[in-house]
Amino acid sequence: MSTNGKDQGNGPGHDRVTIGQLPTGVPGLDEILGGGLPEFSFNILAGAPGCGKTTLAHQIMFANATPERPALYFTVLGEPAIKMLRYQQQYSFFEHVRLDGAIRFINLSQVVLDQDLGAVLDAIVKEVEASQPGVVVVDSFRTVVRKAQSSSSTNEVELQGFVQRLALHLTSWQATTFLIGEYVEGELRDNPVFTVADGLFWLYQSVERNSIVRKLQVMKLRGQESVPGLHTFRITEHGLQTFPRTFGLNNNRSDHVKGRRRLSTGVPKLDVLMGGGIPEGDSLLVAGPSGGGKTVLGIQYIAEGLTKGEPCIVAMFEELPNEYMQRAASFGFDLDKNRKDGSLKLIYLRPLDLSVDETVNEIVTAVKEIGCKRLVIDSLVGFEMALAPDFRTDFRESLYRMIGALTRLGVTILSTVEVEENFTSMGLSNFTISFLADDILRLRYASINGQLRKMMVVVKMRRSQHSIDMCAYEVTSRGLQIGEPMRGYRALTSGIPGPWLESPQSQIEPK
Amino acid sequence: MRDLARRLLAATQTAAVPHVHEAVLVSDKLRISLTRFAGVDGFTSLQRRALVLARAEVPSLQSVKVGADGRLEDFEQLAADTGTDAAAAAAAITAHLLGLLVTFIGKPLTLTLVHEAWPDISLDKSHSTREIA
Repeated sequence: MSTNGKDQGNGPGHDRVTIGQLPTGVPGLDEILGGGLPEFSFNILAGAPGCGKTTLAHQIMFANATPERPALYFTVLGEPAIKMLRYQQQYSFFEHVRLDGAIRFINLSQVVLDQDLGAVLDAIVKEVEASQPGVVVVDSFRTVVRKAQSSSSTNEVELQGFVQRLALHLTSWQATTFLIGEYVEGELRDNPVFTVADGLFWLYQSVERNSIVRKLQVMKLRGQESVPGLHTFRITEHGLQTFPRTFGLNNNRSDHVKGRRRLSTGVPKLDVLMGGGIPEGDSLLVAGPSGGGKTVLGIQYIAEGLTKGEPCIVAMFEELPNEYMQRAASFGFDLDKNRKDGSLKLIYLRPLDLSVDETVNEIVTAVKEIGCKRLVIDSLVGFEMALAPDFRTDFRESLYRMIGALTRLGVTILSTVEVEENFTSMGLSNFTISFLADDILRLRYASINGQLRKMMVVVKMRRSQHSIDMCAYEVTSRGLQIGEPMRGYRALTSGIPGPWLESPQSQIEPK
Repeated sequence: MRDLARRLLAATQTAAVPHVHEAVLVSDKLRISLTRFAGVDGFTSLQRRALVLARAEVPSLQSVKVGADGRLEDFEQLAADTGTDAAAAAAAITAHLLGLLVTFIGKPLTLTLVHEAWPDISLDKSHSTREIA
């Protein structure tokens, strides 16, 4: 059996036992568990019907079973074994050849129906001693307990004794065990099964409006530090895939120092306004109204990076990749060759029921894959709309974790956000997410002498000086062209400026 | 599955127990192998379905039954009757049982189970499910 064995604290005076770790076979789950499943542990996989417990158990089995240390799967009055095999073999991890000795299915239904807990224990012990398995699964253990509890001759102490002896025996025979059960959270208290268990993994499935959201929580795990909280997961043709809240960046001890150098936006005058460009590793929020040129600025930022040999990613939620490429071409940026040679990756994410963690997982994977230096998220509004309703409530918190994780890797992020203009104040975004940004650039319209003019201002540059000028700009066929500071106006930020009292009237002539 | 059924019957025939028809022996071997993972009820239900399907081909199987534990009953009586093609009946019921397994769990897993029961028989796992169903 393969293990992720790691040396744990063998420093002076700390001669601790080393707990080996088994891979789960579930992408992302080893990281959530703190490296893998503790070897020889006694675990519960709990959750409502249909939440993925059986599939998870199968993935663990297929990841670890060998002919020398096989996996035993005891079925008990749950899903009939033939049907279970019929459905489970549809997953890509299900290798038929492994059933030639590495994985064995044993039906205990009759023993449970006809006999007592002692006979169930004897049957399991007999099989375990004969096969010396590395992994043991009992599906569903809840049925065993329920049957025992329905018998007037079985009291709670006997049940606890059974669970304790089962755990003791399986651990002594060096098996890592998983008991599957349809439990609800209210049953956690005073349940002997949960008391004895080393690990308790809870799978949730909730429906909100038209969306289904699946989450996993490690409620208990003895011997190692797991990542707390609820982690979203998806069940695909490949089985379960989890999306850790740490975004797969737990072990990244980046030595990146923010702002060591400045990145050009691709708009030279904007670089000047920003005090020399975007500090590397910063998150820049470009907030502005529809048609204000946010996407174009993103294209210029990406094109500039590509000319400097910096791999770039655009995560888009509103436009299709081909539309994006066409739009870039219309501004004179031919990004096709970059897309072909892999230095530019376009990620289009617009499925229903998306979770932030899932999205970030895709982005982080791409960042690592191409060594991305510049990332554009276009737009945060589209991003939020693509999420399942349940995830929208956590959007800000998730975004905060995502941007933090990516910028720590040294990625410089430009995010666009649409702001619904009003002509009384200058809001930064409708999402109150500006705290996420190191730097903020605000684009807006101003009504001047019968014209709707565009203006921009650098609102914030964390840790550095920047221009406080409000500059006129235009979106031309070659991208954003920034003009002169708009002098001679008052209340420019309201969008309905008037003449500055001390200024000559000539300064507010239309262009 | 018909060919495999005949091979299993032939292999079992060589070591036949006196007075017990090879169809019963084959069924019993499969019963032991299948009951282990599918349970008694799981095997019995499949055997009953296989018998019904086989009766459409061999009507004389009407007299054969499946016991509560999944064993074939009264097959020897059918075999003793003159004018009955017991070999065809045995092949039909065995083939349908194997066919049902292929339908539900696929050929590779079915052959794995067969191999467990008849380790000495070489099985070609390369045929597609559709060819043999």
